[in-house]
Amino acid sequence: MNHSLIETREVSKHYRMGATTVVALDRVSVAVGQGEFVALLGTSGSGKSTLLNLIGGLDHPSEGEVIFDGRSLAPFTKREMARYRRHSVGMIFQNFNLITTMTAAENVELALAFGGLTGRERETRAGELLERVGLGERARHRPSELSGGEQQRVAIARALANRPRVLLADEPTGNLDSTRARELLSLLREMVAGDKLTVLLVTHDRDLAAQFADRTIQMRDGKVETMNAER
Amino acid sequence: MKFPDILRLALRNLREARLRAGLTTLGVIVGVSMIVSMMSFGLGLQRNAVQRFRDLDLFNEITVSGRSLVGLVSSAMGDRSGGEGREGREGRRGRRGQADENDPARKVPERMLTEAALAEIAGLPGVASVEPNIDLTTYVRANKRALLRQVGGALVPNGATRFKTYLAGRMISSPEADEAVVDESFLRSFGFERPQDAVGQTLELLAPGGADEPKAGGGEEAGKKGAGAKDEANAKDEAGRDEDDDELSFFGLPLEEASPEDDPAASALAARTFRIVGVLKTEVEGGAQGGRQFRGMMPVSSIYIPLPAARAWADRYRNSISEVAFRLARASGVLKEGETAGYAMAVVRVTDPDVLPGVQTRLHELGFNSFSIVDQLKELRTVFLILNSALGLLGGISLLVASFGIANTMIMSILERTREIGIMKAIGAEDREIKLIFFVEAGLIGLMGGVAGALAAWAIDAVANRLAYRFILQPRGVSYVDFFALPPYLWLGAILFAVAISILAALYPAARAARIDPVKALRHD
Ligand SMILES: Nc1ncnc2c1ncn2[C@@H]1O[C@H](COP(=O)(O)OP(=O)(O)OP(=O)(O)O)[C@@H](O)[C@H]1O
Ligand SMILES: [Mg+2]
Repeated sequence: MNHSLIETREVSKHYRMGATTVVALDRVSVAVGQGEFVALLGTSGSGKSTLLNLIGGLDHPSEGEVIFDGRSLAPFTKREMARYRRHSVGMIFQNFNLITTMTAAENVELALAFGGLTGRERETRAGELLERVGLGERARHRPSELSGGEQQRVAIARALANRPRVLLADEPTGNLDSTRARELLSLLREMVAGDKLTVLLVTHDRDLAAQFADRTIQMRDGKVETMNAER
Repeated sequence: MKFPDILRLALRNLREARLRAGLTTLGVIVGVSMIVSMMSFGLGLQRNAVQRFRDLDLFNEITVSGRSLVGLVSSAMGDRSGGEGREGREGRRGRRGQADENDPARKVPERMLTEAALAEIAGLPGVASVEPNIDLTTYVRANKRALLRQVGGALVPNGATRFKTYLAGRMISSPEADEAVVDESFLRSFGFERPQDAVGQTLELLAPGGADEPKAGGGEEAGKKGAGAKDEANAKDEAGRDEDDDELSFFGLPLEEASPEDDPAASALAARTFRIVGVLKTEVEGGAQGGRQFRGMMPVSSIYIPLPAARAWADRYRNSISEVAFRLARASGVLKEGETAGYAMAVVRVTDPDVLPGVQTRLHELGFNSFSIVDQLKELRTVFLILNSALGLLGGISLLVASFGIANTMIMSILERTREIGIMKAIGAEDREIKLIFFVEAGLIGLMGGVAGALAAWAIDAVANRLAYRFILQPRGVSYVDFFALPPYLWLGAILFAVAISILAALYPAARAARIDPVKALRHD
């Protein structure tokens, strides 16, 4: 295994709900190497999404720290955090999270715009990305005019727009049937292979995990249960 | 993210919520059109008032006074109190307070308003003309009536507004012409039915022509007096003003003009004849009183003759008190041989109201007293500033209401767009960029509302003005007046103000949008 790109050190996340405190994550320490494809498994409420959000820089841990490429995210300002989300990670979600009033192309271009690309360059890159996910023809369609699988492919194109080093996918196949799910994950694998992208994939599906991931991490009640070795 | 992208996003957001954005904009339109139309009304009032004063020559005329003959004689004859009542008063006042001494307006003028002084004043930068005041109170005969009238000397040509409009005829053609212009009151008192009837007729100024002497002797006497007048005229020539040689003949005239029908006493009068060439329009338009309008600083007369003729007449028929003062001044040497007494007052017309204060300062430096209503102009401006502020405030309140509408719309749209904002944050939007999108959206509402509001105000002004003319002015026979002033700074300022208010209204919504927690926003529903 290479030097780890992502590392969490004793990361905890607590939510205060009135008098009680919900412990979403309890001293989780994981490490994911550069170019690894890791599946995150676990029952509902075990803290998978919470962990992914912390790694993706959308949230801050209550305790512990997240290390990206040897640097702790803890001292990052809001602005540095935004830059980190913009350039270092790409995220995809179960419910796609595309902007419904924008076309496929516009959704991808929006991410490119935040990345600082303008004009022709941006349009070309958005076109290329959509081409690569097989939606060259559907670029001018709005999400409501696309199938779930197609929408998720737009989301992949958007997540990869600013050439991140990590792709965080939170149950991207949750809303797809098993055939479409396999298709999508094949595409994902193919997309990241060339750039040696690191992928963290949350899924409920052990078969999918076994088929696509280099290794799996099993979570339960906010803790890492098992971390199986690399195959 | 670059600004054009932010702008595009903002425009897209407004398009997506067309109806809501439209209604919000409507609020701004109402606010801006209120502000602009109300202030344009106030500014219109101000412009019309200032224009009116300007038309009356009140903002471009200065009254200058010099040292009077009486004052001169008093100081020479050793009256320590200053002699002349007014000067004595001024003197005591000056001794009483230090402040009064520093006030140039309160000072006793040092110099006399001689012809040389007038020429000097006329040469000051910013001075268009100087017109000395000569009022003759004398019997005037015209249309077989003889009445005691005030006759004024007029500078020819004359730039004053009071010589601008005529019911009939024109202005006196040259300073040497034996021509006169009269006003409407002259027509009434001398029994002319229409202005046209008076034009071309003659009027005579009457003076004692030696009623006790026989007719032939009267002529001789008049001739002698005429020679005296000639001397004085020569003295005046030295002082800078020219007078015609043939004037002698007027003063020497043994009154052939006196018509045989006149009573015998009247036939022993000296007279000088002027042809009426114009009838001035002096009545206030639509005014119920029919009174004469106050125009400029110069006292109003009902008859005007050229200045040189008036001066000559005044010198020739000086009243006895003036004559005594004149002779005393000559005798004591304060008024040297060949010097004339000078004028009591003159009106200085400046080229532009803006240069008036400067000219007035120069006049004080030269040793004259002066008066102008430039201070009143300042006060007028203050009054209108207050009025316009009040009107603007009224309009401003409606824009304030509109700004609440903007804030409300923005907050509504945050609730609607929470997920979208979360997505943008997840893909790397900075808080700053999220805020900027909201500011630009609000700014666009302000801009569109501002532009449309300014246009609406322009339309409101046009319609209101037309209605006012149709239902108020026209029935009273008053000609069209533009009640509103819509200078570019007003509507441009209102648009900028609307944009600023809108952005201000977006301050809280934008901050709230930037605070959105992406994790919560993206949690699947
Ligand atoms: N904002 C929050 N406030 C309170 N509790 C929260 C909050 N977010 C998450 N939790 C709790 O933290 C725990 C972990 O949630 P998380 O979403 O990470 O689970 P998950 O493993 O992704 O589940 P699923 O498979 O259903 O998506 C849950 O018990 C959840 O109720
Ligand atoms: Mg989850």
